[in-house]
Amino acid sequence: MTLLLDIISTAAILFIVAAGLLAIFGVLKIINFAHGAWLTVGAYCAVVTTELGLNPWFALPLAFILGALLGGLTERFIVRPLYRRPLDAILATWGLGIVIGQLITLWFGRDVHFTTALMQGTVDVLGTSYSFYRLFAVLAALAIGLGFAFLLDGTRLGLSAQAVIMNEALARALGIDTEKVRLATFMAGAGLAALAGVLLAPMTSVDPNMGVPWLTGAFMLVMVAGTSFGALAVACLLFGAAQVVVSTFLSPILGGITVAVLCAITLRIRPKWFARA
Amino acid sequence: MNSKAILLTITSIMLATTAHAADPIKIGVPVGLSGANSVVAPSVVQAAELAVEEINAKGGVLGRPLALEIADDASGAAGAQKAFDSLIFQKEVNAVISMETSAARNAGLPIVSKGNVPYIYTSFYEGRSCNKNLFVNAWVPEQQVPPVVDNFIGKQGAKKFFLIGSDYSFGRGMLSFAKSYIEKAGATVVGEEYLPMDGSDWTAIISKVKSAGADAIITSTAGGAPNVTLTKQLRSAGVNLPYGNLAVDEGTAKSMGGDANGIFISASYVTGIDSPENKAFLAAMTKKFGAELRTPNDLSVPQYEAIYLYKAAVEKAGSVDTAAVLKALPTVSYTGPRGVISMSKQHHAPLTMYLGQVQKDGSVSVVQSYKDVDPGNQCPNL
Repeated sequence: MTLLLDIISTAAILFIVAAGLLAIFGVLKIINFAHGAWLTVGAYCAVVTTELGLNPWFALPLAFILGALLGGLTERFIVRPLYRRPLDAILATWGLGIVIGQLITLWFGRDVHFTTALMQGTVDVLGTSYSFYRLFAVLAALAIGLGFAFLLDGTRLGLSAQAVIMNEALARALGIDTEKVRLATFMAGAGLAALAGVLLAPMTSVDPNMGVPWLTGAFMLVMVAGTSFGALAVACLLFGAAQVVVSTFLSPILGGITVAVLCAITLRIRPKWFARA
Repeated sequence: MNSKAILLTITSIMLATTAHAADPIKIGVPVGLSGANSVVAPSVVQAAELAVEEINAKGGVLGRPLALEIADDASGAAGAQKAFDSLIFQKEVNAVISMETSAARNAGLPIVSKGNVPYIYTSFYEGRSCNKNLFVNAWVPEQQVPPVVDNFIGKQGAKKFFLIGSDYSFGRGMLSFAKSYIEKAGATVVGEEYLPMDGSDWTAIISKVKSAGADAIITSTAGGAPNVTLTKQLRSAGVNLPYGNLAVDEGTAKSMGGDANGIFISASYVTGIDSPENKAFLAAMTKKFGAELRTPNDLSVPQYEAIYLYKAAVEKAGSVDTAAVLKALPTVSYTGPRGVISMSKQHHAPLTMYLGQVQKDGSVSVVQSYKDVDPGNQCPNL
């Protein structure tokens, strides 16, 4: 039972972290390597709310808005000229990530920071006590996933985004303001990354480099999943499960590299495997 | 201030002025100003600065003032090679005294041998680093682990231990000693798990702790992030067993807030040591650094004491000649904030160890102290 809960909650956390990256990659075909930095910015929003003594839940909207604002600026001034040069965009966003990391170091120092827990304690799930917060992470992942499904299928912006994903030239010819769609997507993606940072903060340490390992994992998952949220959910579940199983039955050291290794193998043999799911 | 004290101050000022005319004795301090040790390194530098200032104010060593040469070793082997090289061969320091990572120490040792200078290592470490130029005044596993294990078995009735660590030499070294010590004491180890140093997901290991039926946990992770993530995740999973953390220091415990509550730590220095030497040291640190003060800790205090130990050895040897100083080092002692320190046991020091427990407000209360814990046979061939 614990194993099952471990698998579901691990997959949920992976999904939360990767969702923002996938949103941007799906529409803009650009890998946003500043993703880890947005995540860190979000976590520091939680630090700031803790230091100001505010309600810890306040960090969630704060991070989303701040992330979206910073994302909007990034799209306008850094990413927009680089849509036709995706490799340069990777370099530019990676560099931006380093700059943000250093700015955070200057402001908050290198030390590990602490945040007020959003919720504490354990609950009994069918006889096993389990961390309340990890279960909450599953709900958060579901909310993000369903939220995006609704956004894509149920709103005008989502429809436009889908059109841009399928055929950008045609979408523009049909009168869709593709620039606006891109800006909105980038803002949503960055906002989501910052939101993920707040959600991660109670489980990890908050330091200027906290985003880097998460970026690697999220990047691999998005490469495998392609542009579909459904595929990302499947990939997170499968690879998250593999990670937990390897950690539990073989060794946690091997577990730490499971996601990366499996993603590499998947990309090598069937690059479009999950994307078709 | 009575007239005697005034006279003393005047003579010491005069001595200090004359001493400035002489060439300073240079002490090289390679330390991790960047990288993993960057959080603690400033406190180590501050402690060294206070020791040098105090010694120089009282006339220096053999009439010569002390001077510090600080170099960044970037907390690793490559940086340490550069730092040791420039300190020993370009700045031509008379001795190296520093707190460093094990990787940096191992990289620096061959350079120390080549340049033939005394090297006092002031960081706790996994033990058994032996070199005729190397002396250590901080603890090794043989000194740190027993207080925790003895307390858990004797006072908490623990029989089944679960060990968790970061996958590197210090983490594994500490836990392998802990394992043999636990088994010798008649208890069992029901699990021993490691995560890479940059790992942050302890989920599977925590589930194992719960299913193994352990009644006590001992952890030895890398400092900083891994330690924090493990503690947070243990707490959020509802694990409330007696918890000995071999890698947490007083300052970290304080900033961890509620999650650190109840954790047992074992150290040779805690700020709460009730001795005149410690109180004088803390007062002097506060006076010198004011708002800039980094809380003195189990890594910075040995640095402070090591400079006094070097002073004592040079005075006993009558010169800074390496062979003479190395001969004098194991025979001298210094009474500092941690008590009487002498590196008399195979280049290592018997130390008084403190078992502390973190309180709700983040302060550390001393549960028990263990006087002059022996470092064991670290270097039988020296």
